[in-house]
Amino acid sequence: MKPEDQRMTSEQVGSIVKMLALTTDREIDCTECLQHVGEFAESQLANQPVGDVIASVEQHLALCPECREEYEALVKILRAGL
Amino acid sequence: MTQNEINWPVALRATDSGEQAAAVAVLRDLLQHGLRIALNGRGNVSEAHLEDFAQEGLLRVLDRLDQFQGRSRFTTWAQAIALNVAFTELRRKRWQDVSLDALMADGERLAGPAMIADDVLGADEDRTRLVATLRHAIENDLTPKQRAAILGELRELPFDQIVKLLGTSRSAAYKMLHDARRALKHRLHEAGITGADIQNAFNL
Repeated sequence: MKPEDQRMTSEQVGSIVKMLALTTDREIDCTECLQHVGEFAESQLANQPVGDVIASVEQHLALCPECREEYEALVKILRAGL
Repeated sequence: MTQNEINWPVALRATDSGEQAAAVAVLRDLLQHGLRIALNGRGNVSEAHLEDFAQEGLLRVLDRLDQFQGRSRFTTWAQAIALNVAFTELRRKRWQDVSLDALMADGERLAGPAMIADDVLGADEDRTRLVATLRHAIENDLTPKQRAAILGELRELPFDQIVKLLGTSRSAAYKMLHDARRALKHRLHEAGITGADIQNAFNL
């Protein structure tokens, strides 16, 4: 591994800064996100305001690509009428 | 009776084995149909995979019935669980060929010094100060495992792979990442760098 390969790129530094901007003291983890993501998806599709618990789902989705991928798949299913 | 008219928690717990079996069969079909829609277009997912994911998802749903709080439709809650089963398995398959040696090398590399190239600093004074503070914090305020977790994320390793690298659980790994982000944010705050400074310096 060349030393320059270990250097963080401008894009990566931008990503970390973005992550820090989204970081709050109280966050939910992936398990809690899974528990509430259905409620969040339904609220979003119905354009309903979200409460505190599911607002934390939105924040988790902004930081966790895996949970976001699953959320987007769930929305696809709900949009299909299931 | 439509899926919306079924009282799922009651039907799935029914003591009448015929009623319960019927509800289980309908739910399995629904989950499989949902997975087919969600995973449509992925060349590596066959109908047999969908069946396996639906069956595994169904078992997970039945196992967690007590956790359903009724805050969404039951089927939405169940579909989210089946999707989690399917995506976890697909991610595991994508990474199963990565050898343990390669994984350990990644871990070693990521736990090493996190260098930020000088050209990231830029000409803007605020940005230079922010990046210099961040560089110092990454190198001095984080544990090697926290650094590995943060850099693993930046290099887009799947979270399950980061969990493996850290040799811990998903929850513990998420907490480790969260603590690392909080430590970095705290350091920026101490240096008088505000959220607005961050947004301006990086045009967020």
